[in-house]
Amino acid sequence: MIKLLHTADWQIGKLFGQFEPDEATLLAEARFTTVAHLAKFASAEGVDLILVAGDVFDAQGVADKTIHRLFNAMAGFAGPWVMIPGNHDAGLAESVWTRAERIGAIPANVTVCLKAEPLILARPAVALLPAPLTQRITYTDLTEWFAGADTPAGLPRIGLAHGSVQGILAEGIDSSNPIAAGRAEQGRLDYLALGDWHGTKQVDARCWYAGTPETDRFRANESGQALLVELDGPGALPRVTPITTGQFRWHDQSVALHVSSDVDQLVERIAAFGPADVVQLSLSGHTDLAGHRCLADAIGKARGRARSLLADLSALRLEPTDDDIAALHADGYLGDVIAELQAGQDGPDADVARDALALLAGILDEQRASAGAAR
Amino acid sequence: MKLTRLRVEQFKRFRQPVELRELEPGLNLFSGPNEAGKSTLVAAIRAAFFERHRSSAVDELLPWGDSAAAPTVELDFETGGQAYRLSKRFLHKKRCELQFGSTRLDGDDAEGHLSKLLGFQYAGRGASQAEHWGIPGLLWIEQGSAQDIHTPVANATDHLRRALNESLGEVASSGGDDVLASVEAARNELLTASTGNPRGVYAEAIKREGALGEAIREIDSEIALYSQKVDSLAALRREHAADEAGKPWVGFRAQEKDAVARLDAIEGVERQLREARQQAAQLDEKARLLRDRLDGFARDEKDALTRSTARDTLRQKRDDATLLVDQWKARHAEAATRYTSARDTLRLARQEDTRRGLARQLEELRLKADSSAATLARAEAEQASLRGLQQQAAATEIADADLNALREQQRQIREIRIRQEASATRLHFALDDGRSLRIGDETVNGSGERQLLEATSLHLPGLGRLDIAPGGTDLAGLRHAAADLDGQLADLLQRLGLASLDAAEERYRSNRQLAGDIRAASGSLKALAPRGLDALRSERDSHEARARDSANALALLPPATPDAASLPGISEAESAEDAAKHALDEIRARLSDAELTAGNAQTSCEAAERELAAARALLDTPDRAERLATATRNLTDTLAEQRKLQGDIEALTRQVNEASPDFLRQDVERYRRSAEQHEKRFTERATELLKLDVELQSAGAKGLDERRAEMLRDQAQASRRAAELARRATALDHLLGLLKGKRRGLTLRLQAPLQKHLNRYLQLLFPGASLEIDENLSPGPLTRKSAHGQESGDFDALSFGAREQMGVISRLAYADLLKEAGRPTLIILDDALVHSDEGRLAQMKRVLFDAATRHQILLFSCHPEKWRDLGVSARNLEHLGA
Repeated sequence: MIKLLHTADWQIGKLFGQFEPDEATLLAEARFTTVAHLAKFASAEGVDLILVAGDVFDAQGVADKTIHRLFNAMAGFAGPWVMIPGNHDAGLAESVWTRAERIGAIPANVTVCLKAEPLILARPAVALLPAPLTQRITYTDLTEWFAGADTPAGLPRIGLAHGSVQGILAEGIDSSNPIAAGRAEQGRLDYLALGDWHGTKQVDARCWYAGTPETDRFRANESGQALLVELDGPGALPRVTPITTGQFRWHDQSVALHVSSDVDQLVERIAAFGPADVVQLSLSGHTDLAGHRCLADAIGKARGRARSLLADLSALRLEPTDDDIAALHADGYLGDVIAELQAGQDGPDADVARDALALLAGILDEQRASAGAAR
Repeated sequence: MKLTRLRVEQFKRFRQPVELRELEPGLNLFSGPNEAGKSTLVAAIRAAFFERHRSSAVDELLPWGDSAAAPTVELDFETGGQAYRLSKRFLHKKRCELQFGSTRLDGDDAEGHLSKLLGFQYAGRGASQAEHWGIPGLLWIEQGSAQDIHTPVANATDHLRRALNESLGEVASSGGDDVLASVEAARNELLTASTGNPRGVYAEAIKREGALGEAIREIDSEIALYSQKVDSLAALRREHAADEAGKPWVGFRAQEKDAVARLDAIEGVERQLREARQQAAQLDEKARLLRDRLDGFARDEKDALTRSTARDTLRQKRDDATLLVDQWKARHAEAATRYTSARDTLRLARQEDTRRGLARQLEELRLKADSSAATLARAEAEQASLRGLQQQAAATEIADADLNALREQQRQIREIRIRQEASATRLHFALDDGRSLRIGDETVNGSGERQLLEATSLHLPGLGRLDIAPGGTDLAGLRHAAADLDGQLADLLQRLGLASLDAAEERYRSNRQLAGDIRAASGSLKALAPRGLDALRSERDSHEARARDSANALALLPPATPDAASLPGISEAESAEDAAKHALDEIRARLSDAELTAGNAQTSCEAAERELAAARALLDTPDRAERLATATRNLTDTLAEQRKLQGDIEALTRQVNEASPDFLRQDVERYRRSAEQHEKRFTERATELLKLDVELQSAGAKGLDERRAEMLRDQAQASRRAAELARRATALDHLLGLLKGKRRGLTLRLQAPLQKHLNRYLQLLFPGASLEIDENLSPGPLTRKSAHGQESGDFDALSFGAREQMGVISRLAYADLLKEAGRPTLIILDDALVHSDEGRLAQMKRVLFDAATRHQILLFSCHPEKWRDLGVSARNLEHLGA
């Protein structure tokens, strides 16, 4: 029996500008530590071979330091690693791979397949059929040659490719780098390890997308995993087990607020976010100032706890109640201003009105607080 | 608010209790000299309200030198329909008590109630300061401070606002201004106050975002260049590998070699062809020479023949010409004869013509000479007659003057005779015959009469003598005059040679007649010889001389020919001569032409003879026939040789054409160049690959994409920050605008009632003026009518007196406002308006009187006389202390 660890789309060198600098740094850092975790896991599990199905690097022009760091992070697994280039790190005439080779970053136990030719390994005894991308984008199926390639009998045939399996995506999306559906069957493969999709996805019994081991976007279902693949021998169906590898859980939540209990529920949810959570929150509906204050408090606190919290309150309408205004001591013309801003949320400059209202409420709050403190 | 009673004890000037009772609800005038205690009373009222009873900082309330005293103030007042009594004692046994209705408040409670009621605050610690005094601080004017209005108003603004709000029945913002200040501060951190441009962190964020964008654009182009280079590296490598595998230049070299071999072969054939052509050219030359030689022989014969014919023709020509010359010679002789004859005729005609002319001239001249001589003779006769007449006339000439003198003398004589006769004594006598007597010397007989003009003696013979003396006067004078005149007459006549006047008259008449004759004679002479006789004579002489000349000329002419009559006229003879001359010239020219032609023909003929002889000599050379035969034979051989060589050349040419050596040469060049180019390209590409490799390696080491990703990350963060700040700035700006707008609107509404009250007083002081109120409710610029139209000036720019007046009326207006809001009002004027002139003071009195209908006014003055017409009696404070 052969034990494989199938992973892909490490996207080393990816940065996260949408987050605050410190958070972004941690998320970028996590991509290295996850590789280290994978290596450690593979060692612990007694894995025979690790397959990386492309997009190891997020871009060609990564710094030498980054290349070294990656291969160092892989040191935890001394067994063979086989990787192919994907669309982000295609095996061009001059590429991150040629550079890695040149600077001597690639350890002996790592094989980078830059050519479409079978790779026969002795330990474990497998025949690998890689379909490396040698251009950024191709419109031909690079796995076409699998069927015609003969490999020593008795060795499991394992394909390694990066691209879009045709027919399982919505029409018109990602039509580049195509891979024919049923390629595993047609290419007489025991297993076809795919990369490109960041969420784990089974294409058929012998064909899987591993997904990225560390989530890097909000819209990537089933990401943060790797696949443990067990092959009993040539012809046998593989046993595939998804392994959670991600350190961070990415949440993209849209919440509409209508009654004050909605706010309470949301506050609870926000309070539940922990250090492993990367959250994007889009709020709509309406709330009174008290609700808004609660939310702002909750979000502020959650920012301290969660890895990262992005909150978009621009669609949330502020509707101060009489109580709010009374509580703010917004008498006289301030009351008029609040009324006008509230009404302004229906106008063409709704955002400005809403922001102004929130600001005013904040200032009044502060004054009340400091007045209270003075008293 | 009405103060009804005031009692002070141990208070400054008043150690003993002093009490003011029954204060009027309106105006109350307190007078007294300096030090009478006016200010003490005012101080007491202020202390009662403003100072905390517990305050230890009120030592100045103590009477001088009495630190043990307990300054006490007791006040009764009424406000809002409620009577109050306030008792306050300071420093010792401190106490504060406020009683109203059934309520009684002590200490702080009482003071708190008071402060709320009147609208002021207590000092946190120490003595009360102006800033705490609120509304009373405004309405209670301290000595010499009426002109200062801004500070008291500022201290009372909040209270006034509140009062205004209450009067408006609206709610102004309690914390609005603080909010506004916060918003403005926050906004001005992000935007410049004046232009609203980004500043501070906002501007920095925008700048950073822009800088990152620029950097990203730069690195993008660098990456694009890098990618392009990677692509060309791949392409070059493919080409290089293909070249290395295929070595295309090897094939080209082989093809080149093959082409060179084929070219060499065909070049041999080309050499043969060139030689054959050269040989052919030599044969051509030889044949040409032989033909030339044969042609030469033929030409000689033909030449001889031609020359013989030419000679014959020329001979004929010469003969014809000679004949023509003879003909022309004959005609020339005839013409010459005709010409001579015509010339002779012309000469004779001319001679005869001359003769006739001279004869005619001679005749005419003779006639003229005769005529001249006749005229001359007549003229000479006429002249002689004239001369006779002239001599006659000269002899009988008598001057007109002489004649007239004669006539005058004759007349005078006659006159004197008459007078003598008239005066004379007439003596008539008749004597007997024979008897005689002598009268004077005269002896008379017979009878007669004598006039005695003078004393005359009559001698009577015998008898004696009688002397008679005429009695008339001047007879003697007359006699003398007559004698003179007679003498004169006689002299003149003698001189003239005349006997009497009658003779003179006669001579005169005949002289006149002669003069007429002379005129007629000289006219005749003039007609005959207008230019005088000498002219006539010379004319006659000239005619005669010319006649002699003509006669001489005629005599000299040759004798006339007998047939002169048959000669033609001169012009006829002249044209005949001319025609003959022309004809002769013409014929002479023709003759000379013919002679020239004949000469030429002769010359040509002789040349032709010579040429013919030469040509014939050539034909007669002895070896001519043999040479001709040899040449003909040689030509035949050469032509045969030529035909053979031509066949060879055609065969060789065909061979060369078929092989196309030019194309072969181009092929060689083409293959050579192709091979070279491929080799060169291969080498160059190798170099290029090396270069690209190095370039890409070094560029790759820069980690461009990673740097770009970092920049994108930073830019996203910067953009987010800039957007957040922009949102915040926009919101703050909007909020600030709204707050200010609302506040301004509110202020305007609030000011309206105050303005109303203010105007009411202002009209009394400055009719037509208006006073603006700023947002702190403080008086602003005053606008009033002047001689120059509207003029506007800041409150502070007014004169002290005017400011004082404005200060008072502003306070009264505030009081009205407060009153309307149901707030207590009490107005205290301590020695106010001392700087007002009489006019203004009078107006101010009206103002005060009017205000006093609504407010209680306590007016303290040390000049009671100024306030006598205020309608209230002054209370003299001097009597209080007593």
